Amino acid sequence: MLALTSDIHTPLHNWRAGVKLGLLSIAIVTLYLLKSPVLLAGAAGLTALLYRSFGAKFAAQGLRMLKPLRFFLGFILLWQVILGDAATGFAIVLRLATAVSLANLVTLSTRLDDLIDLVIWLASPARFIGLSPKPLALSIALVVRFVPVLLERANHMADAFRARSTKRPTFYIILPLIVSVLEDADHVALALRARGGLDGAFNP
Amino acid sequence: MQTKENDLVMIALFAALVAVLGLLPAIPMPWGIPVTAQSLGVMLAGAVLGAKRGGLSMLLFIGLVALGLPLLAGGRGGLGVFVSPTAGFVVGFPVAAFVTGVVMQNLRIDAMVASGIASLIGGIVVLYVMGIGGFWMLTDKGLMASITIMATYIPGDLVKVVLTAIVVGALVKARPQSLLSRQ
Amino acid sequence: MIQIQSLSCQYGDKTVLDTITLELTQARVGIVGRNGSGKSTLARAFSGLIRPEQGRILINGIDVLNDRKSSLSAVGILFQNPDHQIIFPTVEEEISFGLRQLGHSKADASTKTDETLANFGKSDWAKRPVSTLSQGQRHLVCLMSVLAMAPSVIILDEPFSGLDIPTTRALQKRLNQLDQTLIHITHDPAMIADYDRVLWIEGGKIIADGAPETVLPEYLRVMEADDAGAHL
Repeated sequence: MLALTSDIHTPLHNWRAGVKLGLLSIAIVTLYLLKSPVLLAGAAGLTALLYRSFGAKFAAQGLRMLKPLRFFLGFILLWQVILGDAATGFAIVLRLATAVSLANLVTLSTRLDDLIDLVIWLASPARFIGLSPKPLALSIALVVRFVPVLLERANHMADAFRARSTKRPTFYIILPLIVSVLEDADHVALALRARGGLDGAFNP
Repeated sequence: MQTKENDLVMIALFAALVAVLGLLPAIPMPWGIPVTAQSLGVMLAGAVLGAKRGGLSMLLFIGLVALGLPLLAGGRGGLGVFVSPTAGFVVGFPVAAFVTGVVMQNLRIDAMVASGIASLIGGIVVLYVMGIGGFWMLTDKGLMASITIMATYIPGDLVKVVLTAIVVGALVKARPQSLLSRQ
Repeated sequence: MIQIQSLSCQYGDKTVLDTITLELTQARVGIVGRNGSGKSTLARAFSGLIRPEQGRILINGIDVLNDRKSSLSAVGILFQNPDHQIIFPTVEEEISFGLRQLGHSKADASTKTDETLANFGKSDWAKRPVSTLSQGQRHLVCLMSVLAMAPSVIILDEPFSGLDIPTTRALQKRLNQLDQTLIHITHDPAMIADYDRVLWIEGGKIIADGAPETVLPEYLRVMEADDAGAHL
């Protein structure tokens, strides 16, 4: 399945996932400590420059990921202006847009596998108290594997529904879709056990 | 026979199901986040799988969103989601499923009615408290603003409560063994 | 050698397998029966996947139900629907998973995965997402995953349903070349016409057992009779 990782290679792609996440956390905490709209505008400007330095196409990708936010941000700004506190309004909007952009930058520049490895590594200390990262690794794999399977099936069901009705199918296919998932779960669990299940030697 | 493999697969497949429900044709909203069947999936995770499995399933789901899979309604995903104004809702998914499951497991009345009440409490009350709380935290107390926007999603969510009850009612008849919240 | 000792299975109060005792030594064994005859339950029991009410199954002396670890290299199963069998998003991960389950190191499993793919001339599949493969190709991925684990017995549970004729033929050819013992569960007698032994199961009991030339014509005659009792 397609992760949000960008195909446009940036120097950030070569950085370690853990380092990027650490820097991101520091940046976001800093953003929340800043109250001045001027300083926040500076941070937003720097973030924009950072995106732009990886090329116009990459910057456009970054902007696209901000798109769902535009109404929220506009609404917040308008609200604060009506309340007579435009400065706070600008500060909130700039802070949110910058924080989301920086977080997206990590998402855009880090491969899913690297992030999964990082999560498994972070979960590894749990081994000492008898918890294995194995169920975590298996369940991540299963979700990535089954989203396209279920999506394809949902589309088939929607087609079958449309072939016999003029109504919107989403509402009607939910029950059969869920029943099919419950049936799948039984089969998949059996197949997983056929290859050793959770007692096998596999360890991520 | 409910094995630990069954539990694991159920948890994972429900996470995948919630992703797919967010991708099905939706009602677009002017502020970007469409009304999808995704939160129905959250309610069902709690009502069908029960508190622990439902909560874990949604935790897995939001974990994968954080890792950069575009699984949220409207194809959103990535770490940015968790610092955006709607972060509270996303973080609220596992809590909502867990609470739905807790109510479902403890309300020993007809499963269909119980699932309606459970999803109303878990999928609406808990989810909105967390969603609005998140908005409040991230936007410096823009509380009224947030409530105004979010209120537009409530009618759709009430429909989902009814749908959850219908699905659970159908499952009681068709596959009672799959209603793990009542085992 | 496969030994089944007075095996009984029930779902609720329905008896699905009724005190079956068998000893299989042949390399190719077919099991036929109509829908609901208990043949799929038998397939699952062979692989140690269900807990029978009574009896046990030994494959080369290994109790497949209670010794899950050893049973992994004793028996593998190929299910009807590859989408139920494939757990991992890419071909390479799927094949190496079984090897890691057997205790091979990551590097070792990776080498053996490459060898398996190369054996089938599919080295270019390694990084492919399973979702981009056709149904027949997914079946082949399942077969490669099972073969990589090198079990001495492979159970086939209707592995060809839903496949077109050329794909069925190609997969069948692959299967016929295997050194492993095959137990092929099917409702289609043509699939097992050249096998060493055929069992016909009905109502949870074995009602015929012998060479395909003796069992299959009678099976066909009964199935094609007007009142064969289709389950509709």
